[in-house]
Amino acid sequence: MLSIKDLKAEIDGKEILKGINLEVKPGEVHAVMGPNGSGKSTLASVLAGRDIFKVTGGKVDFKGKNLLNLNPEERSREGIFLAFQYPVEIPGVSITNFMRAAVDEQRKHKGLDPMKASEFLRYMKEKKALVELDAKLEGRAVNEGFSGGEKKKNEVFQMAMLEPDLAILDETDSGLDIDALKVVANGVNKLKTKDNATIVITHYQRLLDYIVPDIIHVLYNGRIVKTGGRELALDLEKYGYDEIKKEADKQF
Amino acid sequence: MTQTNVKEKKFADLYFGQEKFLFPENIRANSVKLFLETDIPNNKTENWRKFNSKPIFDHNYKLGKKLNFDMSVFDTLSFFEPESNRIVLTNGYYDESASEKKTEDIFIGSLKNAEKKHKEIIKQHLKTKKNKNPDYFSVLNDAFVKDGAFIYVPDNVKLEHPIYIMHFIQSDNGNIFAQNRNLIIAGKNASFKVIHTFHSLSSDFSFNNTVTDIFLDDDAQTEYYLFEGEGNTAAHVSNVNISSKKGSSFKSNVITFCGSVVRNNFHAEFFGEHAEIDLKGVYMPDKEQQVNNFIDISHSEPNCKSNQLFKGLIDNKAVSVFTGKVFVARDAQKTDSAQSNQNLLLTDYARAHSRPQLEIYADDVACAHGSTTGQLDKEALFYMKTRGISEKKAKTMLMNAFLKDVTAHISEGSYRDYVNFLINNRLKGQHPESLCNVKVCPSC
Repeated sequence: MLSIKDLKAEIDGKEILKGINLEVKPGEVHAVMGPNGSGKSTLASVLAGRDIFKVTGGKVDFKGKNLLNLNPEERSREGIFLAFQYPVEIPGVSITNFMRAAVDEQRKHKGLDPMKASEFLRYMKEKKALVELDAKLEGRAVNEGFSGGEKKKNEVFQMAMLEPDLAILDETDSGLDIDALKVVANGVNKLKTKDNATIVITHYQRLLDYIVPDIIHVLYNGRIVKTGGRELALDLEKYGYDEIKKEADKQF
Repeated sequence: MTQTNVKEKKFADLYFGQEKFLFPENIRANSVKLFLETDIPNNKTENWRKFNSKPIFDHNYKLGKKLNFDMSVFDTLSFFEPESNRIVLTNGYYDESASEKKTEDIFIGSLKNAEKKHKEIIKQHLKTKKNKNPDYFSVLNDAFVKDGAFIYVPDNVKLEHPIYIMHFIQSDNGNIFAQNRNLIIAGKNASFKVIHTFHSLSSDFSFNNTVTDIFLDDDAQTEYYLFEGEGNTAAHVSNVNISSKKGSSFKSNVITFCGSVVRNNFHAEFFGEHAEIDLKGVYMPDKEQQVNNFIDISHSEPNCKSNQLFKGLIDNKAVSVFTGKVFVARDAQKTDSAQSNQNLLLTDYARAHSRPQLEIYADDVACAHGSTTGQLDKEALFYMKTRGISEKKAKTMLMNAFLKDVTAHISEGSYRDYVNFLINNRLKGQHPESLCNVKVCPSC
């Protein structure tokens, strides 16, 4: 589904990603872990198409298309979803209108007519229940005045609404208490099918107790320096990143 | 007096014609004198800084005639509710056949005609501006105005439907100069809404110089909606003077949609405690339009509240100027005043000048002011795009959200829908000129 080859990216002339290689197949859950400043969030941003980062090399193929040639909205319509680490507040734009515009665009891309208003509201209600979002959304502006937990739940709710092929969760666990974390993880797990894939970006292994990955990658200094199974996360929790850092520093 | 006596020769026509002027000759003579002594506002006139009056004085004008009004125009103005009271003026003249009074308890009509019937109340409220804010355009209005709208809602009368004052400019040939003086009086505990609109039915250049005096007696509640929808070949100066007595509430919302150069002056003063004045506005100039909002609120009494919220979307090479003056007298303790001016510049050439001016002599007051000028939030745009929303749609949604702070406060549904309809079409890229043209049905 997603194939990243030797991806390099910089910001303001500073190279952040120094050659990333990653293969994600349908049905897989990947975790990308790593110490602060290793390039985890940059990777998520580059995949979503944030233009402050300049891609200086490599290829990204998504479902047979050159992802790097697409703008952010096209990537979304092709099936990529980024759950933001810091969801943006948009005063004055109601969640209903926001989601309506997004769902309509996605449907248009698939050659479908826009949903009727009543149908859309029912769809929204259904997805809200699925991700256990109990907050009243009607009449509220996107993320405005939301608590940290509400914002993250709202990201998962949007993911449920848009049903992406590939969801990238950028530090979705940061700032969450254990209850909110469970709700968020539950939502992500419910949305999982054999046809879609998830990349979970996280600093701590705590989230991985709830969203169980198939493959774990350790990102350090702009490169994936180690890939392994679930046990890798437990090792990291026990011993920290120091060993891996030392090894990697020797290599590069 | 000869034509050459009139300054700049622009308003020469004013001296001729058979109609009577609004003010009696003995009073008017002073105004004419004062007018001839008053300088045209320029960039050095403090209250008119950044105002470019050149588009006004670039043209020669003649006075518009009293024309037969085509009633089918109402069909093109979707906010218009036929069951409401209305005063129609064309080229500054009261149009009796197009105007209609639906409510028994109130007095509406021509100000000139009202002089006989409501002698006392007119004498009390209709004054020249020689002592107060004698700026060029107010004095011009004093000197040569002939008529305007009169609204008197007596004590305790509460109206469900709005009262319309609708001004139409219609040229048969040449550039039109129109003036009017409007007087709105709210009796004690009266409650009503006024929708005051300006439209152009022809494409010649026009200049409309309007003075509207609004008086609120104790506990009166008035909502005042001003809509500037004359075409982009129109210049418009509007002077709104508000006097608020004890416990009254005045809320206004001014939408500046069209006009080559538009100046909205609001002078508000409190004459009693626990009164509230709320002034809001939206402007969205395009091309080389110039929109100038000037607010001057005088807190001369304690325990009063004032609020200003003006938001602008400035496109192309357009210029906006916002000046918000708040004066708090030494005895006006517990004054609560807030002011906010926010501008979005849509191009690199668009300009916004924001000038908050607070003069506070009392020590126990809350006076807030804020001003921001910037571009659309890039983070929000990116966030929306990652959900599949196109850049164009995302921008439209953000601009709509930006203006909603103001337009959502319009309590009159049909008028709010009309304003939102125009804004939506404008944001979709339609030029205000075509939207303001009332001859073309906007919803067809």
